[in-house]
Amino acid sequence: MKVEKATLKDGRVIDYVYSDDPPAGGMKKTYFSPDRSYVVQFFHNESAGLDPQRMARLEYILTKYNPTIPHSQGGAQGVTPAAAEYFKKLFCWPTAIVVKPQVGIVAPTYPSNYFFAKGPFSGREKEGRWFTSPKLRGMLPDEERGAWINYFKLCILMARAVRRLHMAGLAHSDLSCRNILVDPSSGQSVVIDIDSLVVPNLFPPDVAGTPGYIAPEVLGTMHLPLTDPKRILPSVRTDQHALPVLIYEYLLSRHPLRGPKVNSTSSAEEDEQLSMGSKALFVENPQDMSNRPKDLTIPCSVLGPHLESLFMQAFVKGLHSPNDRPAASDWERALIKTWDMIYPCPNRSCSHKWFVLYDTNNVKCPFCNTRITGTVPILKLRKESRPGQWFQDGKIVIYDGIYFFKWHVYDNMFPGEEADRTPQAYCQFYQGQWILVNKNLTSLTSPGGNRVPAGQAVVLKDGAQLRLSQDAHGRIAEVQMLQL
Amino acid sequence: MSESRRLPVYLLLDCSGSMNGEPIEAVRAGVKALIADLKTDPQALETAYMSVITFAGSAQQVAPLTELMMFQEPHLDASGSTSLGEALTQLEQCVDREVKKSTPTQKGDWKPLVFLMTDGQPTDSWEQAADRIKQKRINIIACAAGPGADANLLKRITEEVVILNNLQPDTLKAFFKWVSSSIKMTSQSIQQVGPDTPVSLPPPPPTIQFVP
Repeated sequence: MKVEKATLKDGRVIDYVYSDDPPAGGMKKTYFSPDRSYVVQFFHNESAGLDPQRMARLEYILTKYNPTIPHSQGGAQGVTPAAAEYFKKLFCWPTAIVVKPQVGIVAPTYPSNYFFAKGPFSGREKEGRWFTSPKLRGMLPDEERGAWINYFKLCILMARAVRRLHMAGLAHSDLSCRNILVDPSSGQSVVIDIDSLVVPNLFPPDVAGTPGYIAPEVLGTMHLPLTDPKRILPSVRTDQHALPVLIYEYLLSRHPLRGPKVNSTSSAEEDEQLSMGSKALFVENPQDMSNRPKDLTIPCSVLGPHLESLFMQAFVKGLHSPNDRPAASDWERALIKTWDMIYPCPNRSCSHKWFVLYDTNNVKCPFCNTRITGTVPILKLRKESRPGQWFQDGKIVIYDGIYFFKWHVYDNMFPGEEADRTPQAYCQFYQGQWILVNKNLTSLTSPGGNRVPAGQAVVLKDGAQLRLSQDAHGRIAEVQMLQL
Repeated sequence: MSESRRLPVYLLLDCSGSMNGEPIEAVRAGVKALIADLKTDPQALETAYMSVITFAGSAQQVAPLTELMMFQEPHLDASGSTSLGEALTQLEQCVDREVKKSTPTQKGDWKPLVFLMTDGQPTDSWEQAADRIKQKRINIIACAAGPGADANLLKRITEEVVILNNLQPDTLKAFFKWVSSSIKMTSQSIQQVGPDTPVSLPPPPPTIQFVP
């Protein structure tokens, strides 16, 4: 092991292990630290250090745009210590600039769960492609494939990470299955390759994106010179295209724009340019079915109304109209609302094990067609929008063992990076009836008006109203017993 | 689900007598490493199909276009002359036969990616085949390996010509590694592209130079 020294911009000197043959991407080559806890990455372009724009960009990314350091310690505006800890798991954020022997960055090594532990690809990074391509998925051992519900989880984290970037005015500019690693066995994701983030009007993008994730307007104007005002470059709006492509791929195992329609017979390249660019057409476009695969049996509507309407907005209305695309925060919210409607499929051999129970008139698992029987309690969450007026603003489909959190109890809490993730209550099917057990709620009130202390339970009955908290912003949950 | 497009990759390898000994040994090792490396790359596993055409006294397709996962590297031996013309004709026929064309109802294969490596001068008539192949929709990267090869001659086949200064094992190893990274997908550069912009290649290692 040949250990070399790298000098950081702040004067510190760190070690890295030299290799003749380091792993290299499009922009950088990577060396590990002796203990493999961090990596030192040098830019291929050795003149990067002479480019004041690039250096200023890196400086900003490490400080004023950095969500992984609290604002009090020089990180981005509004980042609390708790949020910084949270975002450290969602991003592989650079930690320092290297000035010698070459210009580069220091970044944490990806956590070990983002490398395959088993199977023929053991040790390889878990790029999203492994899991979204049916062919590649088939090559993975079962334990690496992960349950469908974990893909749902990692989509929430991915949307949250992108939302945080956009909140700070940053665009990733190259969101793709390569730049977001996923771990479907635990339901986690991490955004990597942060050093080329785009700051509008300040730092232009280096890359157009990765094929399959490049927004149609970017691809459609690639033939124009960079200086042409009609040329469209990656931005927050193009991230708003790439993000739903990823979500659609993870939840439905297919690409939203890759269908059977051929737009040019002169070459595959030209066809691709058109099919992903100016002629891009959603495979589930309700008006124009010409790109719909014959074997499309699971439409995005199985994911419930919140996600279906966002997919339509992203891939029908917003596909060629960038300003109409949903924001990352819309995706985060819709995924969370949909998460509250997820229900376990009782069929042990179901491929997905969970499904979104949104259609109470036709309750069956869309993946294996198993019909649900018995009683399914649903809690309609209401918030007091004006004194005495309670409006429904959420819905939870109850299954045995489901937990409730503060963001269910209070209408002004959001399950984001700052959220208190202590369970407040749970539901159980106990001695033939459905009960809600209080764990940490301080003023849970039964339909009869009695307080239900922690450790006590209340029976769920059709039409009953529970006050989840008497505090300001406390919600009411109205019980609906769905008889199937 | 509709099958994704295939990326046909052809390796055209000079196995003439001058490659005998260390060089052919290094080519064998290089092809082996190339295949092993690609077999762990998701994009390559999904789309790449490989074929090997060798040329010496004659040319033959020693491995037909095969899905990467199923691909077995052929046995390579070096002896005889350098039938480059025959190799190019072989390539033309293989591409015509094996590469799926786009039709109004079927998505065709990607433009084939061809890596041609030769260490000497062609011993057959090759000019006509070169002119024909240059007209085809194929991305050819030609490599003039070692002092005996003529880079300018290869320019008649393709604009993308690189030079290897020698046939040392490390040089050949670096070449095959570069071939491997050329096959893998990366982020698309922001640079302007036209309908016939050549395939974008990663920067070659220092031992490989592009011929302008």
